[in-house]
Amino acid sequence: MTDTLASDTAESTSGSLLYELRGVTRTYDKGSVAVNALRGIDLSIKRGEMVVLEGPSGSGKSTLLQLLGALDTPTSGQIKFAGRSLEHESDQVLTDIRSKEIGFVFQQFNLIPTLSADDNVAIAMIPREPSREKRAARAQELLTQVGLGHRLGHLPSRLSGGEQQRVAIARALANRPEVIIADEPTGNLDSENAKEFMALLHDLHERSGVSIIIATHDEDVALSAERRVRLRDGSIVSDAQN
Amino acid sequence: MWSNRLIAVIGKGTELFSLSYAWNELRRRAGRTIVTAIGLAAGVGLVMGIIGVSQGLSDAQTKALSPLGSVGTSIIVTRTVAPTLSTATTTTTTFGGFGGGGGGGGGTFAGGGTNGGGFFRGGGAASLNSKDSTALDNANSSIITDLAKLGPAGTKFTHDFFVPGTLITFPSKAVSDVAKVKGVTSAVGALSLDALHESGTVPKITASVKTGGQTISATVKPPVLTSKQQQTERSCIQSVIEKRFGTGGTGSGGTGTGGSPPTGGTGSPGGGTTVPSGGFRFIGSSSAINKCLTPAQKAYQQNVVVPEQTVNEVLNPPTTNTKTSTYTVAGLNPSNTTSGLVTKANLTKGTWLSTNPTTAKSQVLVTTAYATQEGLKVGQTLTINSVNYKIVGLVNPTLTGDVSDIYFSLTNLQTLSSNQSRVKEVLVSVANAKDVSAVAQAIKNELPGATVLTAKSLADQVTGSLSNAKKLANDLGGALAVVVLLAAFLIAGLLTLSSVSKRVREIGSLRAIGWSRGRVVRQIIAETLGIGVLGGIVGVGIGVVICLIIGAVGPALSVTSTGLAVGASNASGLLHQATSASVATTVHLTAPIRWFTIVIAFVGALLGGLIAGAVGGWRAARMSPSSALRDLG
Repeated sequence: MTDTLASDTAESTSGSLLYELRGVTRTYDKGSVAVNALRGIDLSIKRGEMVVLEGPSGSGKSTLLQLLGALDTPTSGQIKFAGRSLEHESDQVLTDIRSKEIGFVFQQFNLIPTLSADDNVAIAMIPREPSREKRAARAQELLTQVGLGHRLGHLPSRLSGGEQQRVAIARALANRPEVIIADEPTGNLDSENAKEFMALLHDLHERSGVSIIIATHDEDVALSAERRVRLRDGSIVSDAQN
Repeated sequence: MWSNRLIAVIGKGTELFSLSYAWNELRRRAGRTIVTAIGLAAGVGLVMGIIGVSQGLSDAQTKALSPLGSVGTSIIVTRTVAPTLSTATTTTTTFGGFGGGGGGGGGTFAGGGTNGGGFFRGGGAASLNSKDSTALDNANSSIITDLAKLGPAGTKFTHDFFVPGTLITFPSKAVSDVAKVKGVTSAVGALSLDALHESGTVPKITASVKTGGQTISATVKPPVLTSKQQQTERSCIQSVIEKRFGTGGTGSGGTGTGGSPPTGGTGSPGGGTTVPSGGFRFIGSSSAINKCLTPAQKAYQQNVVVPEQTVNEVLNPPTTNTKTSTYTVAGLNPSNTTSGLVTKANLTKGTWLSTNPTTAKSQVLVTTAYATQEGLKVGQTLTINSVNYKIVGLVNPTLTGDVSDIYFSLTNLQTLSSNQSRVKEVLVSVANAKDVSAVAQAIKNELPGATVLTAKSLADQVTGSLSNAKKLANDLGGALAVVVLLAAFLIAGLLTLSSVSKRVREIGSLRAIGWSRGRVVRQIIAETLGIGVLGGIVGVGIGVVICLIIGAVGPALSVTSTGLAVGASNASGLLHQATSASVATTVHLTAPIRWFTIVIAFVGALLGGLIAGAVGGWRAARMSPSSALRDLG
C-alpha cells in the first residue's frame, strides 16, 4: 500500500523553527470591556514537533491556536511562521498560507453538511488544484488511508463522530500542509474513538514528520504529546517536554 | 476537439466556484431553494403579465388605428373643413353647415391660384377660405338644383348624385407634388364620395312670384325751413304773385310753409304720378309756385308706387315624392395594387380592375359587406345613371373609416361625378418608418393647409376605453413592474441573508481551510444564480399562464378616433350635416407572449438571484474566520 500520508506531506527540515512568537498579545473588545486573551506570549515551535496546548477554559489556548493557524493576527508582538512574519499580513496572504501550509481539525468536525465525505476532502483543494479529477483521486486516497474508503459518498449525517473526525484529518492533509492544528479534536468523541483518533494522529506524525499542535482539556491526549505548553489567564505558565 | 474545448471553458468557469457544492447546497436545502425561487418566479411572472397587457393594448391600438400599414400607406393627405373659418383678412365667417357656391364639378377653388400657390391655401391651417367653403356647400347641395336638370317638373326620374361630404376635393396635381417630396416612395390619389340614389318625380323647384304694383303712402313730415329758406320762399312766391296780379294788396291763398304737412293722394293702379291735392292751393301756375319750394318739400309730395315684377324663387324644401338611398363610392388607380384605399391583397373573390382604362370604365369592385347587404355577386351588373357596370371582384378593405361600398377606377369616378382631375386624398408610402414624421412635415410645407395624418397622429387622437387603458398601462404599468420586481428581489435577498447567517460555521470552516473571501462570495452567488435559473423557468411558466388567462377573459375595449377625417360622411336627405368624421371600433384585449418578454422575465429572475447573492455574499465576506469559529463555542 502506498503510504500516502508518509510520502506526500510537505518537505520539512526537521529541527528548524516553524513558529516563533515574541511578546504576542491579543485583546478583544467585549462591549466597553477589553479582554486580554493573550498576554505577552513567547513561544517557539520546531518543525516536526507535536505540541499540546493545555489550560482551562479562558486560558487563551484557543486564541493562541487561531494565531498559530493564521486565522487571526495579534494585537501586538511578533509572530513568524516558517520565517515569515504574519502580524501585519493581509487577509488574502493569511488565507493563502492557510490553504497551502496549514491543516485544521476542529472539535465540531465542521464538515460541510451538504457534501459527501470525498467532496468534503476535495473542497479543501479547490483553491490550489484546478483539476476536478485530481482532487477526487487524492480525496479518495486520503480517505482510504484513514480507513474510510468504503464511505466516500456518505454525507456527514451518515457518519459517526469518529468517522467525521477522520474525514476532517483527511481534509486537513489534502494540501500537504506543514502543520496540522487541532482544536479539542477529541472533545466530541467517546474514549474509544478518541484513542483511535490520537493513534491515527501519532501515526501520521511519525511517518510524515508533519508538525502537530493540539489544544486540549484531555489529559490522555496531553500525555501522548512530546511537549506540553500550559497556559493560564493568557500567559504560558509552563512549557515542558514529556 | 470542440467538446474538449467546451469542457475546458466550463472547467475554467467552475474554477470560480464549485458547481457540485452549489448543486448539492440547492438540492439538500430544497425548502429554502424552492421558497426563494417561487418568490422570484412570482415577481417575474407578474412582470410578464404586465408587459403582455401593455403589448396587447399596443397591438389593439395598432390594429384599430393602423390600417394605413395594411394598405401600404404611411401618411394620408386630405383637406378638411374647419368649423370656424378665419381668413387672412379680418373677415370671420362661422358656419354650421356649408356655405354656397359651386365646386363639386368644374367649380374653382380660390385656393388653387389666387393666393400664389397650393391647393389647400386657406385662411389658416386646415381651414377653407370663403370661396372654397362655398364651393363645398354647393357641391353637397348640388342635388337640389341638379334635380331641375333631370327634366320638367312632374317627370319621373332615377338618378345617382355624388357629393363630397366633409372633405373637399382638390386637383390631382397635388399627388405628383407629394410624390416629389423626399422620402416618399409612392403617392396615390383617391376619391371617395357619398352617393345618393334618388328616384321619384322631378319637383317644382322654382316658382314665379309677382311682386310690386302697390302704392305706398307715406306721411312724411317735411323738415322745418330755416329762416333764410322761409325768406327765400316767401320772396319767390311774392314775386310770382306780383307777376300775376301785380303788386298791391295782399293776396290770399295762403303761404307755403313747412307747417301742416299735406297728404299725398292715391293714384290709380298702374303707376303714374298724380297732381297733389290738398295742401297748397295756388292761384296761378302750380309749376311756378313749385319752383319756390325747397327740394325736401317737393320730394314729399311725390307718391311712390312699387314697380311690378315677377321673381322666380327656389322652393326650400321642394315638394317632392323623391325616395333616397345612400351608398358610398371611391375611385382607385387599378395599376397600383399594393397601396391605396384597397389593395389587391384585399381581394376576396373575382379579379382586380383592369389597368386598361377603356375596359375599367365598365368595371367596379364591391365590398363583401355591401355585396351581402344588396345580394350582389361577381359578374352581376350595376346600373348607375343609365350606365352598366360589371362587378368583377369583391374586396374586404381594411382602411377603417375609409371604406366605400363600390370602387371604380379613379378616372371613371372622376368623370361620373364631374370631378375631373380632382381627388380627395393622397395615400403616401414612405421608405423608412422612422422618416414618417419628417416626410409628413415636408408634405405640410409643400401643401400648406393640408391635413396630413400619420399613424402617430391617429394614435394621438384616440379616445375610448382602449385609450384610457393604454394610458393607464403607460403611466402605471412600468412603475408597477418595477415595484413587483423590487419586491421579488427583496424577498430573495432577505431569504439569502437569512440562509447565510445560519451558515456561519460552514463559512468559517471554508475560510479556515483556505477559501478566500472572494471565493466564498462567488460560491454564494453561484447558489443564488441557480435559484434564479429555477425562478426564471417557473416564472416564465407563471407569466405564460397569466397571459393566456388575460387573452381568454380579456375585456372588449372601445376605441374612437376623432378628427380622422378620411372617407365619406353619411349625408341624409338633402341637408348635409357637417359631422366630425370619427372611427369607432371595438377590440378584444389580449396579452401576447413575445420572445423578448420571456427574455426579460428570465433575465429579471437571474438579476434577482445575482442581487440576492450579492447581499448574502456581502454578509459572508464580513465574517472573519476566527469570529466565525469562535461562535461555535
